[in-house]
Amino acid sequence: MKKTRILSILTASALVSMVVVGIPSAAHAAGPQCDGKSPINSCQGATSDTAPYVMQVPANFNGTLVLYSHGYRPNVPVPAGIPGYGGYTVTNTPQPGPLVGGKDTSVIAYLLGHGYAVAGSGFARQGWNADSAIATDVELIGAFKTQFPATKHVVAWGESLGGFITQGLAEKYPTLIDAVAPMCVADNVAAELTMAGDFLWGVKTLFDPTIKGGNYSAGAAGYAEAMGDLVKFFTVMGKLQAGISSGAWPDTSSATGKALATAGIPSRSALLLLGLMSGIPTQSAHFDSISGPDGALKVTFPLAVSPALAILENGANAGALAILALQDVENQSGGAIFDNTKTDYAARVTNERVIFNAALSGNTAIDGLLGALSPLNPGAPRASGNAAAIAKMNSLQANTGKINVPTITMVGVADPITPVGSSVRIAQAFADQYAGEKAKAYSDYAKSHEYNAPKKNLLSLWSTTPAAYTTFTSAGAPITSTPAAPGTNHCNFTAAQYLVVADELVQAGQTGSFLGGGTLAFMVRKAKNLSTDPFFNAPLLKFYE
Amino acid sequence: MIEINRRKLLVASAVLATGGLVLSTVPAQAFSPHSEVGVTNSSIKLGVTLPMTGAASPGYNKLPSAMKAYFDYVNANGGVNGRQITLVVKDDQYVPTLAVAKTNELILKDKVFALLAPLGTANVKAVAASVNPGRRGIPTLFVNTGYSGFANKKAYPTTFTLLPSYIVEAKIIAQYISENFAGKKIGLLYQDDDFGSDALAGFKQAGLTFTVKVPYASGTQALPTVPPTWIQKLSAANVDVVILFGVSSATAAALGTAAVMKYAPKWILGSVGGDATTIKAVGVPAGVLYGATGASFLPATTDNADEYVKLFTTINAKYNNNAVFDNNVMVGMNTAYVAVQALAAAGKNLTRKGLIAAIEKSGAKFASAGLVPLNFSTTSHVGYSGYWFGTYGPSGDLKPNGGVYTVYTTDSGTGAVVKSTYKRPAMPADGLPTQS
Repeated sequence: MKKTRILSILTASALVSMVVVGIPSAAHAAGPQCDGKSPINSCQGATSDTAPYVMQVPANFNGTLVLYSHGYRPNVPVPAGIPGYGGYTVTNTPQPGPLVGGKDTSVIAYLLGHGYAVAGSGFARQGWNADSAIATDVELIGAFKTQFPATKHVVAWGESLGGFITQGLAEKYPTLIDAVAPMCVADNVAAELTMAGDFLWGVKTLFDPTIKGGNYSAGAAGYAEAMGDLVKFFTVMGKLQAGISSGAWPDTSSATGKALATAGIPSRSALLLLGLMSGIPTQSAHFDSISGPDGALKVTFPLAVSPALAILENGANAGALAILALQDVENQSGGAIFDNTKTDYAARVTNERVIFNAALSGNTAIDGLLGALSPLNPGAPRASGNAAAIAKMNSLQANTGKINVPTITMVGVADPITPVGSSVRIAQAFADQYAGEKAKAYSDYAKSHEYNAPKKNLLSLWSTTPAAYTTFTSAGAPITSTPAAPGTNHCNFTAAQYLVVADELVQAGQTGSFLGGGTLAFMVRKAKNLSTDPFFNAPLLKFYE
Repeated sequence: MIEINRRKLLVASAVLATGGLVLSTVPAQAFSPHSEVGVTNSSIKLGVTLPMTGAASPGYNKLPSAMKAYFDYVNANGGVNGRQITLVVKDDQYVPTLAVAKTNELILKDKVFALLAPLGTANVKAVAASVNPGRRGIPTLFVNTGYSGFANKKAYPTTFTLLPSYIVEAKIIAQYISENFAGKKIGLLYQDDDFGSDALAGFKQAGLTFTVKVPYASGTQALPTVPPTWIQKLSAANVDVVILFGVSSATAAALGTAAVMKYAPKWILGSVGGDATTIKAVGVPAGVLYGATGASFLPATTDNADEYVKLFTTINAKYNNNAVFDNNVMVGMNTAYVAVQALAAAGKNLTRKGLIAAIEKSGAKFASAGLVPLNFSTTSHVGYSGYWFGTYGPSGDLKPNGGVYTVYTTDSGTGAVVKSTYKRPAMPADGLPTQS
């Protein structure tokens, strides 16, 4: 296999949602200042926590507000030169709606054009901010209603951490919200950081033990440690990519890693195992784990190489998230929060070791890798968390998945940051909730002879990958310069997909019901790479195993 | 309000219609006319994923045409309860992730009624984990793998096995060795995945110990490039008997290399690897099989006195372009044969639930070419559970030792290996199932 370029692989996806509307970031605890223009009346202001917000209200406002919550933005700047995030500066610029491809405002324009008002906050702090963000959103809704008394309905949507905030808003304040759409929704903080932390711990343990991997110092020293980790992490990922074909291990590998290399286990198998035990998808922006180049590698490539390349692409996101979010949440919690002292990684890959057996180089190699990562190996020290810090982290907003208002979820089936399992968890919780409500309806019927069927208040949309999408040069090298395939990368939705959610969201907010049947089928078909398969299933995040 | 009143009316009707309150039948949708996915008044659509191209395809790619040939024969004789059977074939190249994609196509686009004989342990497991036919209630009939785990009804509620499990096979091989090679030094070459681990569990259960065990990593099933190291390890251990419990390409590589290196222990081949068609397809003469011991649960393909062999040979000539009649064709036709039995047993009102119930209720009595019994019941989704041993001839045909099928049977648990007393029922007239 030809070498591919490290930077093309490691160019991270849209973890950071940027803003295109020109709203000043200065924050004041003050009511909205509106420009009174037509056809769009634009207002700016700040909630009492100093979070800046923006409201945009069309002249033909129909009474429905669509409130948006943006995704995770690191709460520290990232120095230029670091792959993926280099040059990022912390911003609290408000964002009133999703941006297609990170910049296209057509979805916002669509809503405004149809008489819906939009609003969004930049939030008072960045990083993992669900608790404060929910409070900010509640205050923003009040401010909007005060400013625009004609408001009849409020619906909310958000992406990634913003999806989590949106779901949390509906769970805590169902009377404030008529419908919600958590998109590419993040799971609870412990589940998310377990996934990212497991991968980072594995990379550190096998490939570069000088990575600190959490338990960062307080203050400036901790920031420097985290930035140092980012550099080391991306450097070792580059070395792993260079060794994908040969199986060579990075020169920075630990003694444990070097022993595995000596045993003949290729580094790509080790990398794949780390991804599988962490729950990282085995399809990525450019690697479908299905296609192979014509010729001798037609089957070998998808069977033995492509899954590892997918983990490399996706793992770049997961590892970076681990470093940035761990440092943030550790600061909030007062100590180390990642703890894998009791994690049984072998149990986590019971199915995966069969399915990816060839890519993992067989049972003997798998057992060797798992043995090397076991707590019994002093060369692979586990990470111990601080009990008080973990307790504090666990006291942060945690969503149960309870559906209080009509809810639409949408997620890419191979999202590497907020895996599809987060949305599956909501679907499973609702299935239980619905079963309970149905049983109660039967029970009530027995008493009253009036059967009131419970409402199916959840619409799950799955952004699917194409049947096959890895492409190759005439020499057989995989091409990684093409746009990320649908269903992959983080919150990688098309305008058409967003519009399906938007139409369903406002419909549900106004009527309490979804557009269903043929209408929904037509919308989904038109949007492409979208499924409403009621039986779609995927594993929950490994944290729950 | 109109909607609520309408519901009340329907519920009231339900109570009246059933003569009492049966809560599970209350919802209005109970009154909707039911039509099962993949079934019409005139057709039944089945689907299969397996390697039709790529290194693993030789041999296996004969299965669909053999299954279709038997279905065509049934269709020409009126079908099953008046329905014609079609089989949609998807090429998964023996890649688990591709099997998932292709199975999704079968279910969501082709809308098949049931999956039939999907092939490969890793592939079936990947599909179960991702597509989850069990949760969808889609029958997965007669998987083409002997992995014992697929008989776990709790984990795979809609899956039925047909091939004897690898544990069963290993236990029976161990019994054969104890009867014929007691005290000899035994070596083992096995695939280093669930296929091999199942075998290791069976050998361990049977108490068979090895002087040397040589694992090889599973892969594309292309001809391996490292068999000299295998043979060197086996030869260095000075074993008398070597069990080759691997796929055909590995078996071919081992036997071919051993021939070159003039290493000639007594070879005992697992049922998966001892396939002359595949061995020839990877460029190794089938003659390397000559004199080796093999195992099967179906009659020998050369047994022209067997009524199923006669029937399948005739069907093969008419509906399968007279393909070379090997064990792959036999397995394919027999699988289709059992599937037709199941579809017929499910009755005219064919549903997925009804099909599963029919196999559980009547599957143990299904006619088939198998020389060992089927074990289907409400608590068991296990198909065959036994083997007979034979010797390969110079062209790679397996014939029973002494000209007699001595069948051994056991289970995947702790049950003993015993000689089977099973008498195969007579084949239904013309090899067509009784319609319900």
